[in-house]
Amino acid sequence: MNVYQPYLVRIANITDETPDTRTLRLEFVDPAVAESFSFKAGQFGEYSVFGAGECTFCIASPPTRKGYIECSFKCVGKVTRAMRELGVGDVMGFRGPYGNSFPVEAFYGKSVVFVAGGIGLAPVRCVIWNVLDLRDKFKNVTIIYGARSVSDLVYKRELEEWGRRPDVKLHVTVDPGGETPDWKGQVGFVPAVVEKAAPSSVNAVAVVCGPPIMIKFTLPVLRKLGFTDDRIYTTLENRMKCGIGKCGRCNIGPVYVCKDGPVFTASQIAALPPEF
Amino acid sequence: MDAMTISRADLLGLAEDLLGSGIRVVGPAKASRGMVEYRAVAAASELALEGPELPARSLKEFYLPPTEPLFAWKSLAGGKVELMEARMAPPPTVVIGARPCDAAGVEVLDKVMGWDYRDEPYFARREATTIVSIACAGIDSSCFCTSVGLGPDATRGSDLLLVPIEGGYRAEVLTEKGARLVSGHQGRFRPDSGAAQAQEFKQKARAKVAAHAPPDARPLRSWLETHFDHPLWAEVALRCHGCGACAAVCPTCHCFDIVDEPEGVTTGVRRRNWDTCQTARFTVHASGHNPRSDQNSRIRQRVMHKFMIYPKRFNEILCTGCGRCVRACPGGMDLLEVISRVSALAGGAG
Repeated sequence: MNVYQPYLVRIANITDETPDTRTLRLEFVDPAVAESFSFKAGQFGEYSVFGAGECTFCIASPPTRKGYIECSFKCVGKVTRAMRELGVGDVMGFRGPYGNSFPVEAFYGKSVVFVAGGIGLAPVRCVIWNVLDLRDKFKNVTIIYGARSVSDLVYKRELEEWGRRPDVKLHVTVDPGGETPDWKGQVGFVPAVVEKAAPSSVNAVAVVCGPPIMIKFTLPVLRKLGFTDDRIYTTLENRMKCGIGKCGRCNIGPVYVCKDGPVFTASQIAALPPEF
Repeated sequence: MDAMTISRADLLGLAEDLLGSGIRVVGPAKASRGMVEYRAVAAASELALEGPELPARSLKEFYLPPTEPLFAWKSLAGGKVELMEARMAPPPTVVIGARPCDAAGVEVLDKVMGWDYRDEPYFARREATTIVSIACAGIDSSCFCTSVGLGPDATRGSDLLLVPIEGGYRAEVLTEKGARLVSGHQGRFRPDSGAAQAQEFKQKARAKVAAHAPPDARPLRSWLETHFDHPLWAEVALRCHGCGACAAVCPTCHCFDIVDEPEGVTTGVRRRNWDTCQTARFTVHASGHNPRSDQNSRIRQRVMHKFMIYPKRFNEILCTGCGRCVRACPGGMDLLEVISRVSALAGGAG
């Protein structure tokens, strides 16, 4: 088997999240692959449009929902532009799942706090649905999500659904100036909203993903709330090509993000050279 | 270890025998502009077996070609796609006259190509190829194989090592593949009689390289692990143009890119191409953010990968001391000097 040859996947559904962000639901063309394929929350893959090339994204759907995978992408480059040209029924390529995962089973019996910014909600969404699909295994679930503006919020329908659930505490915020006249959520940067929401760190873990600047200012807040670095998880998104520890692109010091990650604890990240 | 001897005429005869039976023979030979390169030869007389120069590029391209197809695709009606094999079965190949540093480079690469996910295109070529190396007399002041745990007589990666003796070579059989080559061409080999001469050749060659080579590079790992930030990196980077010539000629640099090449409207090939961590766009994110945004960080990555990252992961230095990067660099970057400087820093500051 040639490890660089992808599975064929067919676009089953397209959701426009924002003017430049889209979610594709992909089903495996080969029924045997559809049957046998499995992954864990946090793993990623190489998605491709034949003729345009490959791109690395996390799997944004949860492993608890079988038969398909989803990816959410912002239209910024050659491959993502080509992905945007495709319609329902078109065929793409997918290699994966690759990398490590969030230790969701180790979260059983604990409260989980999710903090995400912008498109960083995509990998976190995978864990959120994994947790919600097995809701009785966890204590409190808190979701804090922010974007630059109201139109930059992704997964809007799911945010509404989470907001309606009595077993989820949801805080949605937009950066100052990003609100619309009818905006009913909060206004402020994610770290400040985390501080105000003050989720308890007792028997709890935090899953954080977003732009570097958000992570930088959110970590001190979480630490102040009592989350130790070994209970704060995040996922790194270095540029990759092979995804399987060969092409040499994703190294951060001695770490291969594609093999040792993409999921790391804050303590593991603190030990890395500042090259991400 | 079995050993035999083979005369120069019989070695060329062996190459002719192989060519006659349809086996591809690769070895150092004159190429364009008079340079010596490893290439497939049509006749044994083309081989330039003992230098004096090192072939311009390493053997790497026979395992990991500068560009290679991974598979082909064809778009069909109704949005369907068909994927097809685009690789040709690698031809059975015998390399005659590999330098020990280049043979060792292939064995070093096996680690990264084989961990967890097996790189099928690479290993298909690996399995189809037998390597007959000729112990080196030492090339020039850029050689430093003795600093990376190898030497001009290193056996790693070779199936058969030929050590020059009077009138020919002493052949040391190193692997099953090497033994098969010898047993398939018994008539070309004679019983061993050159042990003492071969030993003398090896000692002279080792002494020649060791006389100018920097200290043992293996202990550098611990200093590198703790000196990500150090003025040394900015200083050595001043010479670096970011051209990547060092990586192209290196036997062990293996970074690659994966790109699609449409061939017409509905068909095309996904290819793997050589790439290098020395270029500015190598690590740039879709957002525009670049974790290695200056040449300091890129040259540091090259040194780190070879002497810290790879050793830490695979217990193996990602360098065979061939010196090609030194000879190829337009800015005069000298890895021997970097090794010496880091050794001094590691020894001095602790």
